[in-house]
Amino acid sequence: MKSEVMVGNKAVAYSVKLARANLIAAYPITPQTTITQYLSEFVSEGELKADFVNVEGEISAQLVCMAGSIAGARAFTATSGPGILYMHHALHGTARYRLPVVMAVANRGVRTMGPDHTDMMDQRDTGWIQLYCENNQEVLDTGVMAYRIAEDQRVRLPVSYGLDGYVLSYTAEPVEIPSQEDVDDFLPPYESQYPVLPENFDAEIEQYKRHWAEGKSINEPFTPFPADESFSHLTMVNWGPGHDQQWRWRSHQEAMERARQVIKEVDEEYGRRFGRSYGGLIDEYRCEDADAVIVAMGTIASTARAAIDRMHKEGKRVGLIKLRSFRPFPREEFERIGKTVNAIGVLDRNISLGEEGGIVYNSIRSAIYDLEERPSVLGYHIGLAGKEVRVGDIEQIAENTLKAERGPKAEPVVRWI
Amino acid sequence: MMRKKIGIRDITKEEAVWPGNPACQGCAGSLVGRLVFKALGRNSARVEVASCAPGFMNIRVPSFYSPAFEGAAAFLTGLSRGYKLIGREDIVVAGLIGDGGTVDIGFQGLSAAAERNENIFFFTYDNEAYMNTGGQRSSATPYMARTATTPISKTSRGKMEEKKNVPMIIALHRVPYVATASVAYPEDLMEKITYAKGIKGFKFMHINAPCPTGWGFEPKDSIKVARLSVESGLWPLYEILDGRRFRLTYKPRELKPVTDALKIQGRFRHLSEDEFNTIQEKTIDDWERLLKLDGKELI
Repeated sequence: MKSEVMVGNKAVAYSVKLARANLIAAYPITPQTTITQYLSEFVSEGELKADFVNVEGEISAQLVCMAGSIAGARAFTATSGPGILYMHHALHGTARYRLPVVMAVANRGVRTMGPDHTDMMDQRDTGWIQLYCENNQEVLDTGVMAYRIAEDQRVRLPVSYGLDGYVLSYTAEPVEIPSQEDVDDFLPPYESQYPVLPENFDAEIEQYKRHWAEGKSINEPFTPFPADESFSHLTMVNWGPGHDQQWRWRSHQEAMERARQVIKEVDEEYGRRFGRSYGGLIDEYRCEDADAVIVAMGTIASTARAAIDRMHKEGKRVGLIKLRSFRPFPREEFERIGKTVNAIGVLDRNISLGEEGGIVYNSIRSAIYDLEERPSVLGYHIGLAGKEVRVGDIEQIAENTLKAERGPKAEPVVRWI
Repeated sequence: MMRKKIGIRDITKEEAVWPGNPACQGCAGSLVGRLVFKALGRNSARVEVASCAPGFMNIRVPSFYSPAFEGAAAFLTGLSRGYKLIGREDIVVAGLIGDGGTVDIGFQGLSAAAERNENIFFFTYDNEAYMNTGGQRSSATPYMARTATTPISKTSRGKMEEKKNVPMIIALHRVPYVATASVAYPEDLMEKITYAKGIKGFKFMHINAPCPTGWGFEPKDSIKVARLSVESGLWPLYEILDGRRFRLTYKPRELKPVTDALKIQGRFRHLSEDEFNTIQEKTIDDWERLLKLDGKELI
């Protein structure tokens, strides 16, 4: 296994190369830009056999990946901040058609150049899996794992993963690069389960008519490939009563729920093969016997580790939960943690304006609601628009969280740091 | 490549569509779908976006709905690249896209795919407004036509801007093939497709598709309206090879008056004789420019 000092964007590019994605479509936007540059180099040097489509905008990037994936390509795109907003419309499509497209997002705020998670959080209801990375090694490893998760037959959903803009995307650290053979063994070349070919058309229509005549309706998939929703020729047979689109949302939700298990399995297998794993949906740091925990995502988790270490030196038992998978949300994990701690402090590098507290804060409050003895959950808006996050800030948060007792609401519940 | 002239007898009897779809009576767009896929053959795939085309669901080739209205050309790009990657470059990837999805919301992606010379065949069936949503103006709506959003009132005489000339704009991307066509001239339309489907690279065909519902004429007159549009010079039939070599594929000996085509359409009913004359003059002027260009190269 070789090692190289590389920026986060290069780690993304390496993961794409190792995963042997063969269709890449992307449009440059700071701080994602060098991902596309590294990939163009890999492709033009022949190190990666792929079609690189220099599209004219992010929505086209996503649509190229979507349609390419339907035809049988292993597709990749990368974007950032306003770029993902422009892509939003097509993100729903890729998820709705249940296509295993993978996307890296160099997280940047939607209003400023600075890093925060508002860009990806804006996409939380599109039905994509969302993972967040803490360092460049995790970026590379997540980029490879993403395809295993996306292509798993229990899941078949697009996967996005975030790396904090600048802090990771443009910052170099040593990264171990697994060998191509080992990755090939972990992630075999992509083969579409259901290539849609003209010569099969008549037989498939007949099959679908039988399916329909047997009273199975659209509520049961006709193909092993859920992208059949994109086949408008099937509306010939399924138009009318029973054309239940709500069922699609439900089956999508069920796939998200199955993805929880798959993300954990893939992470464990990656750990066995490559010696690195990340805890599945969450990573727990010094949580044994903790009186309270704080929750962070992305690079803030890295800063938080330093704060937690300092606290422990002073004998203060505060743990850190790094939230790695935001979608699907690790509800059960937080329920389990909620039983053992008095308070949970949530660091949100995002905001849903008009709601009290950050997005993760509210999700965690919801996750622990059914516990008989609920811990206090405190919310902290931090690092928005790239505002600097210092170890001291997090120590303060941890102290404050530690002070909160299980039970009555602490005041104020939500603070700005 | 030697080009075989196609007569009506050379057109295959084999259809690429089933009978029947929920399109309006007399829908020329639906007929475009039938003719296009008859000519392309069934080793093709179809892409559609929001438009009347999802209603043309009787076309017997794999058909994909691009969930983004603006994304026809990008979706076609992805499909074409994907088929190539699985070793199936032989499948003709074709878009059956309305005028809105071509000239307005889809224009950016269309221009980009043309510039990249993607191996796709982009067909526009042009009914000259957003007919699927009730007939709002598009930039393909012709001068002075009444639409739902360019009503006739004290201050408005219909659409006051000219039609965007998209085939010429696409030709100036120097793509291998651009043509116009009409449902009233199926031999011309199918000959062009038969020739162009063998070309690798970006192909664009702009097809006049009269809409009885939106234009206000009897469903039985769709072909008549289409034919009169060509014979009056309102819808010239031409092709442009490699974005340079221009050729009129049909030259009426003498142009019929535009009023023959326009007066049977409700959307032009409000026009005064002076206004008809203005359209007549513009049409003759445009036609003469094309005649001068015939057999020559664009700029």
